[in-house]
Amino acid sequence: MAIQQPILEARDLTKRYALGETIVDALRGVSLTVQPGEFVALMGSSGSGKSTLLHLLGGLDRPTTGDVILGGETISDLDDDAATRLRRDRTGFVFQFFNLIPLLDAAENVGLPLTIAGQDPRRGEAAERVRDVFELVDLGGKQHHRPDQLSAGEQQRVAIARALVNRPAIVLADEPTGNLDFTTGGEILEALWRSCAQRGQTIVLVTHDAKAAAYADRVEVIQDGLIRDEIVLGRRADHTTTALIARLAQLGL
Amino acid sequence: MTGLGRFAWRSLRARPLRTALSIVGIALGVAVLFAALATDAGIEAGVGRTVDAVMGQSDLRIGAFEERGLSQSSLAAIRATPGVTVAAPVLEQQTYLQRDPLTTSDATAGAYGSPVTVIGIDPAIDGTAAGIHDLQLAAGQGLTSGGAAEALVPASLAHDLGLGISDTLTILGSNGPEPYRIVGLLAGGGPDPTAAGRAVVVPLASTSALFGSRGASWVDVRLADAATVGGVIAELDQSLTFEPYVLSDRADLAASLQASTAGFQALTALIAAVTLFGGAFLIFNTLSMTLSERVREIGLLRAAGATRRQVHRLVLVQALILGVAGSILGLVLGFGLSILIVRTVGLLGDRGVPIDGPIVPPQGVAFAILVGILVTLAAALEPAIQAGRISPIEALRPAQAGRRSIAGQLRWLAAVVVTVGVAGLAFWPIALGPFGVPGSGTDAAGIGRPLLVYAVLLIVTLLTPLVLGPLGRLASLPFALFLPTEARLSRGSLSRDRKRTALTVGALTIGLAMIVALGGLAGSAHAATDAWLTDVIPGDLVATSIRPVGAAEGVSEQLAAVAGVARVSPIARFAVAFRGVRLDAAAVAGSDLGADGRLTFLAGDRRAALIALDAGGSTIVPQAVADEFGLQVGDTLELPVGGGEAVDERIVGVVARGMPGQSGEAILIGWSDATSHFGVLGADAFAIRFAPGQAVAAGPALAAVARGLALEPTPLSGIESAINDAFDRLFSLFDTLALLAVLIAGLGIVNTLTMNVYERVREIGILRAAGMTRRQVWRMVVVEAGTMGVVGAFLGCLAGVVLGFALGGVAGLGSSAGGPTIPWLRIGLAAAFGIGIAMLAAFQPARIASRISIVRAVQFE
Ligand SMILES: Nc1ncnc2c1ncn2[C@@H]1O[C@H](COP(=O)(O)OP(=O)(O)O)[C@@H](O)[C@H]1O
Ligand SMILES: [Mg+2]
Repeated sequence: MAIQQPILEARDLTKRYALGETIVDALRGVSLTVQPGEFVALMGSSGSGKSTLLHLLGGLDRPTTGDVILGGETISDLDDDAATRLRRDRTGFVFQFFNLIPLLDAAENVGLPLTIAGQDPRRGEAAERVRDVFELVDLGGKQHHRPDQLSAGEQQRVAIARALVNRPAIVLADEPTGNLDFTTGGEILEALWRSCAQRGQTIVLVTHDAKAAAYADRVEVIQDGLIRDEIVLGRRADHTTTALIARLAQLGL
Repeated sequence: MTGLGRFAWRSLRARPLRTALSIVGIALGVAVLFAALATDAGIEAGVGRTVDAVMGQSDLRIGAFEERGLSQSSLAAIRATPGVTVAAPVLEQQTYLQRDPLTTSDATAGAYGSPVTVIGIDPAIDGTAAGIHDLQLAAGQGLTSGGAAEALVPASLAHDLGLGISDTLTILGSNGPEPYRIVGLLAGGGPDPTAAGRAVVVPLASTSALFGSRGASWVDVRLADAATVGGVIAELDQSLTFEPYVLSDRADLAASLQASTAGFQALTALIAAVTLFGGAFLIFNTLSMTLSERVREIGLLRAAGATRRQVHRLVLVQALILGVAGSILGLVLGFGLSILIVRTVGLLGDRGVPIDGPIVPPQGVAFAILVGILVTLAAALEPAIQAGRISPIEALRPAQAGRRSIAGQLRWLAAVVVTVGVAGLAFWPIALGPFGVPGSGTDAAGIGRPLLVYAVLLIVTLLTPLVLGPLGRLASLPFALFLPTEARLSRGSLSRDRKRTALTVGALTIGLAMIVALGGLAGSAHAATDAWLTDVIPGDLVATSIRPVGAAEGVSEQLAAVAGVARVSPIARFAVAFRGVRLDAAAVAGSDLGADGRLTFLAGDRRAALIALDAGGSTIVPQAVADEFGLQVGDTLELPVGGGEAVDERIVGVVARGMPGQSGEAILIGWSDATSHFGVLGADAFAIRFAPGQAVAAGPALAAVARGLALEPTPLSGIESAINDAFDRLFSLFDTLALLAVLIAGLGIVNTLTMNVYERVREIGILRAAGMTRRQVWRMVVVEAGTMGVVGAFLGCLAGVVLGFALGGVAGLGSSAGGPTIPWLRIGLAAAFGIGIAMLAAFQPARIASRISIVRAVQFE
């Protein structure tokens, strides 16, 4: 891979939660670099610190120590307003549950980042973008359905469309297939994959599922708040899991 | 407390702010209710005291119709009537006190204070133990019989005047000031509570020096134990033939006093009901909030074997705790409030009934607590049923806001409204307890009006959920201008839980409706007073005299001679008996009324009627009197005069308003009839009209001449403002109570918004993750509240105007004849206040919303 300026860089991140007396070290020194257009998966068992890391990478939370650099700018010490603006303009999030505002229809949900930024997502260039991402996630006809009229898989694809709509530097997805069945999960991953393959979208995906991780170019294995290993899969069209599972087995996971 | 009870207690304690809000809500409702009860009891006691003071130990009062009063022959005849043991004559006359005895000759402005009532008694009767009127001497001694110029003065009045025993009190009489020596001080406000402490008691025999030779205004009579009121009346009918008279007993007096306070009582009862209604909203919201937070917990309880009944009980026990705490707090607040009411209002109605107290009626305490708890339980019914419906499986499902049917909401509302209404109707008279005067009863109109208002408010509240959608969209438009993003995002949340929003908006609507309706009432009362006086009085000012001024004295001519005066018209107020009741009458000059263009004729020919009036044998009656007795033009009134005879007065016209009388509108009678048949000795007022543009220039000269003639000139606007001041005092009180209702609505909005925020933690997390700043979240919640405020303000103002029209003239608080007015300024202020309160209420919820941690919000399901 050519040497490029990384789009995202995490340097020696630690995160400590203090719950009264008990102290939880959710991250204990994580460093990570993501190149533009890369699809990176973070794998690990429950409680290993994946979500915490993702939140720090997207500016949802601040690390206890360490830096996060997005597009050459240090974001881990921004104040709340600046971090919020960064999220609005440069990142897109997909969560595991309830990504959508129930009272807004699919198109309004997708247009949310534009609305928040003061644009009208029903007009002009903004409307164009909304339509474009709807096609990308293969939901062309469902723009005006309300969340409760959509299946769980469709809801997640709307969430992905929303994450993509402001053409963010990076999309961060936290177990988007976590509570979906096998086939539905596949649709979600296909949508993410298309955005990466066709649009060159940089993606960081958190998952504990090898089938999901197999879509990535590279898998970082996290354990107890540390990166335990890195498995480079390279860009492949078939997303087979055999190689990944073999490596994970080698690591004893 | 059982295990479940502890559970209920804990869940209330888990959210102390919300619990406190609901308790305060119900407490404010109970407070207004209790204050209304305590004030009512005070009014009843005041009526009772007034009856006692006015009637003394007497069983019957024989009142004079004519200004001459009852003659000595009448008094002798009364005393001779079998069954009469004591007959005490009393003379009552309004006059003025001279402030400074040194300026006896000074007849200019300020020489006299506000009017006093001189009460002449016979010290040989009322000074003794056998007397009928208890004078309650606080210091000094009683009056000596024999007609010396001695006076008893209420201690408070003496204090105000800076006078003491043996000092000289100068009373303005018909022929000038007369010095009286103060021999004793009376406890309290003196013998006549309606005189507001401004009554001076003098020997009857001394009053001829003051007011000329006049008979008693009335004679109070005590009957022998064996005699009956009916029997004595029959005897009097035979023996008393010298002058016309009117009889009244204690019940009559109590009933007429009561009637003059009915409007006030109806209105306070109404506001109490409305406030309580607002409190019910709060309770309901609190319980359903607690519930929606605890769906899983209740599901778990059910899975662990709790029966549906136990779950019901759980919710009801919570309600009970809130209800009891709120009611007790409410009693304390209510007592304070009633003190405030009594202080503000003072005297009530056109008869000036004093409010005693506040009095704490024991039944009222029980009633207020009972209603507080009943309303709370009624409000808890629907949440309890909802809680019972939660299935054990609910515990396993991810939380999901359930949508409830509009039917359920109607059912709930109806339950609360009916409970409050029925409880009020059934218990209100009971709650007043022993202070109610027997035989008076609450009249149908007193209860009918509040019911009507209640119905209007109910309909508005029921319609709210239906119009919420379109109205909410409209209401958010102004916000969209400045904060388009926040407005768009907040728009949907009003319809999130339509019922909750409808109830919240409903509480605001009702409070604002009361404020606007009261404004409308006050406005139309003012307008009615102004229009009334302008319509009937043929002058720019009225000069009043404390004695009848005969035509021969030439006073009219002297006033008319002042440069710039166009017309002087004499007016006398007296009373006639018609079909056994007292009717106010006024002697007027028809030609003056015609020339001045006064009176609005509804029936009869104006010109002919006014000429007939002056010619005699004719009368013009106001609409109100015509309606009351079913009279029309062409009918003849048979009016008794002295000597067992009667004169006929043919009705030649019906007018919109008559002259202001003592307790209503007066019929109009020509001067010739008034003097020749009804014993009117002269004018007690002169209406003075200035030539156009001369009012300012001629005013001072006229005032000087008038005062020189012992007349007190008052501009029409002065009379209007004196009447309006009384209204204003009442209405400012009602306004305060209605503002309390809006305040409760504000608490309800805090509750609803907080609940919306808690239900939306996840959503707000997502919005924040998608790039919404804290400030934007904050503004979103405030805009949400503002939209509710706009909807509530719109509906409230609308309902208020409707109510104002529907209420027309609440008894004694104004008249419908002036036509209802739309109080635009008031509407503007009410709307601004409502929207302001709503947005203020958003402050804390908005803070909570903007501080939500994104990571926590998105982390857990
Ligand atoms: N807000 C928080 N407060 C306290 N502890 C937390 C918080 N969030 C996460 N943790 C703890 O940090 C650790 C890592 O959590 P998380 O990043 O959610 O793991 P994963 O997503 O890999 O399951 C866990 O032990 C979790 O209990
Ligand atoms: Mg996680």
